[in-house]
Amino acid sequence: MSYFRITLHRSAIGLPARTRGVLAALGLHKRSQTVYHPVEAQFAGMIMKVKELVKVEEVERKLDKWEVKAERRPDSGFYLEKMAPRMEDEGQKVGSRVLARLRGEDESQVVEGVRREGGGEVRV
Amino acid sequence: MFGAFRATNSLSGGLLWKIPWRLSPTQKYRQRQRLKAVDNVVETLSTALAKKGETLKSLERWKYEMPTEAEMLAKDKYTIFDRKEKKYRKGIHKLPKWTRVSQRLNPPGY
Repeated sequence: MSYFRITLHRSAIGLPARTRGVLAALGLHKRSQTVYHPVEAQFAGMIMKVKELVKVEEVERKLDKWEVKAERRPDSGFYLEKMAPRMEDEGQKVGSRVLARLRGEDESQVVEGVRREGGGEVRV
Repeated sequence: MFGAFRATNSLSGGLLWKIPWRLSPTQKYRQRQRLKAVDNVVETLSTALAKKGETLKSLERWKYEMPTEAEMLAKDKYTIFDRKEKKYRKGIHKLPKWTRVSQRLNPPGY
């Protein structure tokens, strides 16, 4: 099933109430708003009434907000030929070691600027 | 004659809007883009409905009666008929809401 993807491009300010009524019936209340309606004669007729104000495309399915956003996102301007090794894994290991030490599993108290005293931590 | 209290039309008469006599080349360009945009919408609707084997009276009528942007004469794109004007034509920008209404046909012969 295909849909009309209708975007309100021009405002209907100052236009006849009939025109604004058609836009409201289509569910368009503000500029740049997009709605989807199935490809049927009744919706085509409504679009014909406001054809000067809207942009229309035929699409196969309704796109959700995130897909529309992804469409609008500009090209990043670069690409990676080869993925660099991620630092995350290393960082997590170090982090867990630090945590383990702080929990008291290891008695060496001073770890990368953090000293354990009593129940709390003191940064040095 | 000069200064803040000079007697100009807008100062002595209150509201005065001046609409230039002719469209600028940029206005004409944008007018063409708008005409094309409307043609695109009509085209999209008709192809989408044709795929389903449906049709629409208003759509058929538009396609039968209205010239597309490419078929229109420059005269009809940028001017409209007015019986009060000298030579019966005035700039389309004198038409209220002219950027948001369709005005493509004029009386034959004028």
